[in-house]
Amino acid sequence: MGKWTLLLGGLTIWAAHFFLLYAFASLFPGRDLARILSLAATLPALAASAWLLWFTVRRRQPQNSDDFGRWVGNVGALGAAVAIIAILWQALPALMV
Amino acid sequence: MTSETGFDPKLYERFPAPPRPDSEIADLKRIWTAPGGWARITAVNNNYIGLWYVGAAFLFFLLAGILALVIRVQLSAPLLGVLPQETYNQFFTMHGTLMMFLFAVPMMEAIGVLLLPQMLAARDLPFPRLSAYAFWAYFIGGLCFFMSIFAGLAPDGGWFMYPPLTSRTFSPGINADFWLLGIGFIEISAIAGAIEILVGVLKTRAPGMTLARMPMFAWAMLVFAGMIIIAFPAVILGTLLLELERALNWPFFDATRGGDPLLWQHLFWFFGHPEVYIIFLPAAGIVSMLVAQLSRIDLVGYHLVVLALLATAFISFGVWAHHMFTTGMPTLSISFFSAASMAVSVPAGIQVFAWIATLAAGKPRYNAPTLFLVGGLVIFVMGGLTGVMLAMVPFDWQVHDTHFIVAHLHYVLIGGAVFPVFAAFYYWIPSLSRRALSDRLGRIAFWLMFAGMHVAFLPMHLIGLMGMPRRVYTYLPGTGLGTVNLISTVGAFILATGIAVVLFDLARNFRHSVDEGADNPYGGGTLEWLSTGLYSTRSIPLVKSRNPLWDDPDLSRDVDQGRYFLPYSATGHRETLITSPLRAEPQYLQFMAGPSIWPLLSALFTAGFFLLLTVQAYTPAVISGVLAIPSMLRWLWDTDRPGDIGPVDVGAGVMVPTHVTGPSTHGWWAMVILLVVIFMMFLMAVFSFFFLLGIHPGFWSQPQDRWWAAIVVALYVAAAGLALFGRHLLTRATSTHWSPTTQVVFAAICAIAAYAIDWTNWRGQGIDGELSAQGAMSNAFLSLQGMLVAIVGLMAVFLALRTSRGLLTRPRSNTFDLIVMFLLYTAAQGSAVSLILRFGPGAG
Repeated sequence: MGKWTLLLGGLTIWAAHFFLLYAFASLFPGRDLARILSLAATLPALAASAWLLWFTVRRRQPQNSDDFGRWVGNVGALGAAVAIIAILWQALPALMV
Repeated sequence: MTSETGFDPKLYERFPAPPRPDSEIADLKRIWTAPGGWARITAVNNNYIGLWYVGAAFLFFLLAGILALVIRVQLSAPLLGVLPQETYNQFFTMHGTLMMFLFAVPMMEAIGVLLLPQMLAARDLPFPRLSAYAFWAYFIGGLCFFMSIFAGLAPDGGWFMYPPLTSRTFSPGINADFWLLGIGFIEISAIAGAIEILVGVLKTRAPGMTLARMPMFAWAMLVFAGMIIIAFPAVILGTLLLELERALNWPFFDATRGGDPLLWQHLFWFFGHPEVYIIFLPAAGIVSMLVAQLSRIDLVGYHLVVLALLATAFISFGVWAHHMFTTGMPTLSISFFSAASMAVSVPAGIQVFAWIATLAAGKPRYNAPTLFLVGGLVIFVMGGLTGVMLAMVPFDWQVHDTHFIVAHLHYVLIGGAVFPVFAAFYYWIPSLSRRALSDRLGRIAFWLMFAGMHVAFLPMHLIGLMGMPRRVYTYLPGTGLGTVNLISTVGAFILATGIAVVLFDLARNFRHSVDEGADNPYGGGTLEWLSTGLYSTRSIPLVKSRNPLWDDPDLSRDVDQGRYFLPYSATGHRETLITSPLRAEPQYLQFMAGPSIWPLLSALFTAGFFLLLTVQAYTPAVISGVLAIPSMLRWLWDTDRPGDIGPVDVGAGVMVPTHVTGPSTHGWWAMVILLVVIFMMFLMAVFSFFFLLGIHPGFWSQPQDRWWAAIVVALYVAAAGLALFGRHLLTRATSTHWSPTTQVVFAAICAIAAYAIDWTNWRGQGIDGELSAQGAMSNAFLSLQGMLVAIVGLMAVFLALRTSRGLLTRPRSNTFDLIVMFLLYTAAQGSAVSLILRFGPGAG
């Protein structure tokens, strides 16, 4: 289970963040509350992804795991990095639109 | 090396073991033989089912292609009368529906069923009878569905069937019912196939084939199957609701009674956009694998491509509303969807760059599969670019529902899926046929198809920008649309000529053989190029790299000499080695079911049930549905054998058990996946409930006597408790033979009682299904729950029958465990339904 979490953690946070944004925009259409909640959801999502990135990068060290463990760490770290960029990107409309 | 399951990796050092006697091969052949003559249709070996599956999908591709040619003839000049308007509507609806539902998704599943066992060196996928059922259900259902066009009864509402056009008022005939029941049923077959593939890829890989060493096609199929599990329940629910609205007048999509047509669009596109990636990802897996194999090097950026597949799967569920930019959604919402739609092109871009880099770094040759790969890549990138254009909301407003969209989707799907499938044909057919296909004919076919594709669809962008809407059967002279449309039609025929050349090549050279393939003409390095029979490979190799045949030139010979795992039948039955999901460590030996008529009959009767409902032959439909139940139970009777054989030697003294229970079993995984499917349907129903409530709260009223929910929930809790108690009793040697099963039977009675009370109480509320969306949604919830409770009842009967025949193993039994899991889920969902109906936000 731990390896699956590392592998899919970043992407799961990204997807969960997206569905929250959609929910806020649909529940409070045309109100500033939707923007505020969107930005409020963005901060923990970014923090969680950043933590995952830090954790997976550490697991890539040779002393921490074998070949397969490092491979999972690599993919997980990239997933977390992509999630950080994607979360920032998809939250931008809350500031700009 | 770390272990995932407690398996000692040092045991791997025993391989390759000394060669085994050739006499053992005769045993394998005898055990895995398929029936001959007409009885061949009862075969369940992936070699046959997979091939028939591919053949059927290709047949539907050709049929849909013929419809497309007639459509293009109709549009080749203004005011032509080749197709009357109604028939034209049926043709384009059938073309889209066949291509999406009967060609694209099944073709990918079919290639998976055909090739995955060989690629993973499994004897077969874990549920061969489920594969057979999925194939027959799809083939029988698909053919009957297609026949509707000859009776003028084919659906005519477009492949996404938007209400209110498809509601009873505007589509009073049974055409729409054919789509809703036919496609809904075929999606069930797709889910069956996805469960098979998901469990197969996770649990039947050759030892040592960790996730990091898996062929890219297997990775793609894993992601593909996972996406089907999440996405397809939405469309199954949607089709169910629309059919209920049409049959029983429950107004889910009727805005005058609290429903909303936009609900359909949400449900459909929550499935529909991931569907595009469901089609694209396996094809991308084929491309990733083939560019590396044909360039004779490792794929550049393997882990990046894996990440790209996973990222596509996740974010593709966040783009459904980009099909709805013109529906007046809140600006902020569509901006989020626009951002996600742009972001989803990034993973596709990563894959494209990895493919280009692999082609550039390797030494690809000028042959048919390489041409199809590179050609497909070019076409797909062009389609991707127009996709990014369409993610811009103002541009989308401009070209929405014009031929620009038609051009875009054909570029994406033909480049992203059709060309890779043809590459796969040319690359892999030598492993299935005594003769390879002709490379010369393949190259001719490619150039015709490549040129035809551009001539047909490039002008369509222009046609769209000139303002011609899609789905109109003709246009007026003097609009300037005649010449471009004629060019497009000529292109369609050039494309069709290319496909005809492939057909000719297949007829001339394809000679199916399960054990005499035409060697390995492209020098592939993955396991499907080991010599195989109906039992797959002689022994199951230990995998140490992504291209084992390149890295160990002796591997093929050693496998043939039986120097790896399972070089014989360890139990005298059909069996395969089950390995762990991450590191593929041997866990246990699974018995596999052999040939049987029952999956075929189950498919026939389930197809009969749905299709006879379509033509409103209710009595034969019910008879057919009732007959399907014993057929399925009889098919399942042979599974979960009592564990009367102890641990066995699977080669070089490595011992594994033959009877395992709990979370490591293939059955447990399949049940969990099935419950995810059911939960997704429930989740979509909850979304529908809140969506309608949010839009039309005035149609919601407060239920009376809400305390009845307490009785319902208490009974469901009792059902769950009894089921768990039964499972506890099973492990105790002191309990009598019958007592655990009796608890499950009582649990089922409690669940049925809970449901009956819930239903009766709700019927007395006066919130009628025909009056408002609240009544309709409540009835939908209760109908879904009723199906689960009925299945629980059947399961209890099945368990009692098995117990009476002494087939219940102790202290643990897989059948028992899985039934208890299903019961617990049913109780949880039933309680949730009862509470949502009476205490949900709309209940006051």
